[in-house]
Amino acid sequence: MVMSREQFQDLLDGYGADPTHWPESERAKAERLLDSDAEARAMLAAGRRLDALLERHTRVTQADDDAVGRVVKRLAGPLPRQQMTFWRWPTVLLDWEFSPAWPRVAALACCAALGFYVGIAGLDRPLDRLNQSSIMSRDISSVVFEPEGLTGAGP
Amino acid sequence: MDDSDEALMARIARGDEPAFRTLSRRHLPAAIGLARRILGNAADAEDVAQEAMLRVWTHAPRWQPLAAFKTWLTRVVVNLCLDRKRRAAWVDLDKAGEIVDPTPGAGEQAEADERERLLTAAIDKLPARQRTAIVLTYSEGMTNAQVAEVLDTSVSAVETLLIRGKQNLRRALAGVIDNKDE
Repeated sequence: MVMSREQFQDLLDGYGADPTHWPESERAKAERLLDSDAEARAMLAAGRRLDALLERHTRVTQADDDAVGRVVKRLAGPLPRQQMTFWRWPTVLLDWEFSPAWPRVAALACCAALGFYVGIAGLDRPLDRLNQSSIMSRDISSVVFEPEGLTGAGP
Repeated sequence: MDDSDEALMARIARGDEPAFRTLSRRHLPAAIGLARRILGNAADAEDVAQEAMLRVWTHAPRWQPLAAFKTWLTRVVVNLCLDRKRRAAWVDLDKAGEIVDPTPGAGEQAEADERERLLTAAIDKLPARQRTAIVLTYSEGMTNAQVAEVLDTSVSAVETLLIRGKQNLRRALAGVIDNKDE
């Protein structure tokens, strides 16, 4: 398939006059046109001149220290509030710096673990697993209530 | 300590102001330069650069390192410039003095200055997106795909912007480009 001059001009404008920047699919066709058409070669030369002109003219010069200093100075004031997303909050909490409180956190964790162990091992032990004879031998008179005087109700 | 852009952004996301200052000082020279090239006005360029860096600060917690930080910042600067272009009237070309070397000269230098002035005028008259596509392509050395990413559009749309932009420039600079004086 042959490339027209209009298509070649679009190629030059869209991708520049450097053939290495042209799409692979277009390069062979463009090179065949250049081999056979003097006008296309003139278009390429004009494209190179325009590219050179634009490269030189649009070259971005980095701002000088004075300009940077002015902007930095304006940024030195109180900064606005950052936009926080909901999913970010767990990360923020995990990012909290706990290091100064580590000893207290460790002590709290030990207390919690001890309380948990005592609760599991002692207070919740089922009655049927207790030593029945030791219970029967104890004097429990002090915990037996006297009948209620008025109603006559007893335990 | 990791001092990369991405590491600094992670610290900024946690509200680290010194990291923000470091990142600002690193990228402000290029950001101001790019904004100045697109807007053709130094004062506006500094305003845009300041606004861009404030957006870096406020958006840092939501920023995802899907693309290089510089690409993202370039997109922010370009969008702010295009917004400003949409809102404001065209800058008087005579006031875009920092683009043209004001050094007076004679002969060839005067011709070169005149050519620069014509080119400045022609580029300033381009629609904002065509102009931005040309600036990003030629000043930043971006490929069409990279320009498309910055402008948040397709590669074929960038191609169209460049084609139309250069057609406009050729019409405006008829006789200037043909001079074989490069």
